[in-house]
Amino acid sequence: MQKAIVFSIEEFSVYDGPGIRTTVFLKGCPMRCNWCHNPEGFEPRVQVVKNLNGCERCGACKAVCPSPGACILCGRCISACPKNLIRFSGKEYTAEGLASKLLKNADYLKKCGGGVTFTGGECLLYADFLIAIIAMLKGEKTHTAIQTCGFADERKFKAVVSAVDYVMFDLKVMDRQEAIRYTGCDNAPILKNFRNLCAGGTPFVVRVPLIPGVTDTKKNLQAIADLVKDSPALGAELLPYNKMAGSKYRLVGKKYSPIFDQTAEPNIDTEIFIKAGIPVKVL
Amino acid sequence: MTERIRKIYERLKKKEYRKLRNADEFLLSDSVYDEKDLALRSAFRLAEAAKAERAVLFAEDRIGMMRTIGKIPKLLRKEEAENLYRGRFVFDGGQVCNISSDYAGILSDGFLKKRKQIRGQLPRYERGSKEYNELAAMDICIDAVETIAEKYRQEAERMGISELAEALKNVPMHRPRSYYEALVMLRILNFTLWLNANKHNTLGRFDVYMYPFFKADLQSGRLDREKALELTSEFFIDLNFDSDLYPGEQQGDNGQSLVLGGIGTDGKDVFNELSEICLEASLSLNLIDPKLNIRVGKNTPDEIFYKGTLLTKQGLGFPQYSNDDVVIPALIKMGYDEQDARNYVVAACWEFIIPGVAYDIPNIDAFSYPQAVLKVLNEKLESCASFDDLMHALKEEIARRCREMAEATKNIFVEPSPFQSILMSGCIERARDIAEGGKYNNYGFHGAGLSTAADSLAAVRKLIYDDKAMTPAQLLEALRKNFEGFEGVRKACVDAPKMGNNDDYVDKIAAELTEYFADGLSGLRNERGGIFRAGTGSAMYYIWYSESLGATPDGRKAGEPFSANYSPSLNAKSEGVLSVIHSFTKPRLERVCNGGPLTLEFHDTLFRNEEGTKKVARLVKLFVESGGHQLQLNAINREALLDAQKHPEAHKNLIVRVWGWSGYFNELDPVYQEHIIKRLEFEQAG
Repeated sequence: MQKAIVFSIEEFSVYDGPGIRTTVFLKGCPMRCNWCHNPEGFEPRVQVVKNLNGCERCGACKAVCPSPGACILCGRCISACPKNLIRFSGKEYTAEGLASKLLKNADYLKKCGGGVTFTGGECLLYADFLIAIIAMLKGEKTHTAIQTCGFADERKFKAVVSAVDYVMFDLKVMDRQEAIRYTGCDNAPILKNFRNLCAGGTPFVVRVPLIPGVTDTKKNLQAIADLVKDSPALGAELLPYNKMAGSKYRLVGKKYSPIFDQTAEPNIDTEIFIKAGIPVKVL
Repeated sequence: MTERIRKIYERLKKKEYRKLRNADEFLLSDSVYDEKDLALRSAFRLAEAAKAERAVLFAEDRIGMMRTIGKIPKLLRKEEAENLYRGRFVFDGGQVCNISSDYAGILSDGFLKKRKQIRGQLPRYERGSKEYNELAAMDICIDAVETIAEKYRQEAERMGISELAEALKNVPMHRPRSYYEALVMLRILNFTLWLNANKHNTLGRFDVYMYPFFKADLQSGRLDREKALELTSEFFIDLNFDSDLYPGEQQGDNGQSLVLGGIGTDGKDVFNELSEICLEASLSLNLIDPKLNIRVGKNTPDEIFYKGTLLTKQGLGFPQYSNDDVVIPALIKMGYDEQDARNYVVAACWEFIIPGVAYDIPNIDAFSYPQAVLKVLNEKLESCASFDDLMHALKEEIARRCREMAEATKNIFVEPSPFQSILMSGCIERARDIAEGGKYNNYGFHGAGLSTAADSLAAVRKLIYDDKAMTPAQLLEALRKNFEGFEGVRKACVDAPKMGNNDDYVDKIAAELTEYFADGLSGLRNERGGIFRAGTGSAMYYIWYSESLGATPDGRKAGEPFSANYSPSLNAKSEGVLSVIHSFTKPRLERVCNGGPLTLEFHDTLFRNEEGTKKVARLVKLFVESGGHQLQLNAINREALLDAQKHPEAHKNLIVRVWGWSGYFNELDPVYQEHIIKRLEFEQAG
């Protein structure tokens, strides 16, 4: 039985593919993009997270903890918190269980030209799960999409991409050294998978986060445009950096430490793409 | 916005015009109170108010009008009211309100024709009889309207606003000759209704009754679209000048609703170019009046939903949508003629009423579902062997409560309102005030706290009957103690299924409850021969009733509010909006169709580009296709977020979507919460 850890399911998402969609966030990511806004997606396991807003340090959670310093996910602190500020992040689903939950809204999704989008974290961490659930959803005539960073085993990447109806593929940092510096990963496998994506017949768009001084430079955007213009991509979607990116770190007990100038306004340069003949929109 | 409209708009925003109002309180002379006949007294009051009013115009006005006298004194002196009210049921100040005038009729006749009609009727009745006095009172009211119009005509002439002076030579006594004159006349009607102390003055189907004038002008070339937009904008702004004087529960609760689109009496869709102009005017003005309602159905073009959604984006909480496919058949089932049902409008908030003919009181009282549930639990839970037994007991209690509420509406006292009566069809012919009834005299009861009640019953079913996780005595004890010392019980209650998650376990209970309410009222008659309509609204009762109600098995603590209207409980974490629509379209809404919308809140980043806005519009259409009856959408704005900071418990589902991601507002670091609020401040200042 295929299983995956889900940390959020969002109904009525409007920017994650065609039509009205339900977006499933799978937990765990091989990359550590320096600007990541969703640290809940880092670890591929269930965690206990604490919302410190409103916490009065009453100590009730600590008092019941049987294993301080090494969480055993017993959930006692969750029940103990008088203000309900503690919760699990992540819930394990079987492909069958998640599919049947998602299919409860299938009638609406179909009517609105939408479907289900899997994202993360990095959804391809659960490639076998995806292949199983995509088959179940498509069996019920529900459109499927993935949003991926492309950093994945080639064989699995190809298998998922050939199963799914639509792909949103991230292109972030084109320079190899810079990519390692800012995302914690070599971009060679990503570019390889991009070529795999182009070779397959699945419709896709390219997504580019615009991070000030990192991805939004003329050089980087031009490199992306050069790569995309000769590809079968339907277009490019630009996501300008938002200064809210750090807001969830405290929840997972981490500190947000950007190494770029996050006060700078992102360079929303659609011209480069237009000149290259690539349909572009800003999300 | 043209330069002229901008000037009027800025005058409204600066509020300095209010200094031109009389400083002294407006008082009636003793002779008014000496009049024993209340219809005549009402007319005398209007006559004195009209006399006391000063015409104030500004150079940029083409329609204008503002109040110069303050609050209108009550019709009854205090001790007199005490005597008259003794043993009577007095609703909302005992005045005619919350109905919709026959604007089409008066615009096509003019007041002169009405006066002739009234004077023609007078000799049929004995001097001093009730009928004679009523007609005489109506006659005096027409003089009062004429007085107001004449004052404004003279002022327009003095100021050199020849267009307006010219129009006022004709309206309101004669039928308007143009769209412009029709607007001037409508403004006078609206102004006079407020001066007559009527509250909740709805504007009805503006794009229906104004359309003939608009169309004729367009065809003759007298008017173009730009000019029509300018005049409509001016009229809309003018509706806001005296908002602070209106005697509602809260400012803004003045009932100036305006309905666009929908099926016409001939069965065809009426949405027209004038409807579009209204949407456009409202979009550019961003004012709370008039409150736009759009009537839609499964055949409504996507474009209309899109234009409505652009308006939602402004964050004012309208347009509100009503679904003709559900409402019209429901009204017919209630006994309204098909033509009348097709002509329905929305009262002050959301109740469905018929303009011109009905004196329905659709908000006469409110039923509290949670109160009934708690009563039955306390009295019967321990003796009910099965959940079905419990539901059966509840059905009986709801029926009993319906009878009790119906009984309490008997012996109603309503002050006559001769001016309003002129504007209702049949009152002149019958020499009878609208306060005594119209063609339809139905009463409506709101149904407050449905989701709280359904969630409570779902928890009882699960914890007591299905899982046997606790005994009835344990649960009742926990409720009595407001869950203090029963945190485990409360957690189990909170974790039980909640309405709004497309879960039949609880949704079917909700559907059942609405049936009980409808059944409870079915067959009951009010003293005017009308029926009782069951509704899904809550008005302010979701606060009033909840404050005095103890803890409920959904995990709600004593005194915590229910959700407003027809919406998921504030205690329920919802899977999302698609599930909410599924859940809330399961009840047979045609049986509880007094009015009361499902309310959905969206963060305004959802609307940030055309794609997002179109998808929200698609969602509205989806609601309509799914058989929802009424929908209100809110784009969450800064105020709501500030409130969420102070009362996070009341905004559990407030999702903030920024960039390609979303999070619960409550979970964001305060510094980021501030950031969003500041950003909205910036955006909304623009």
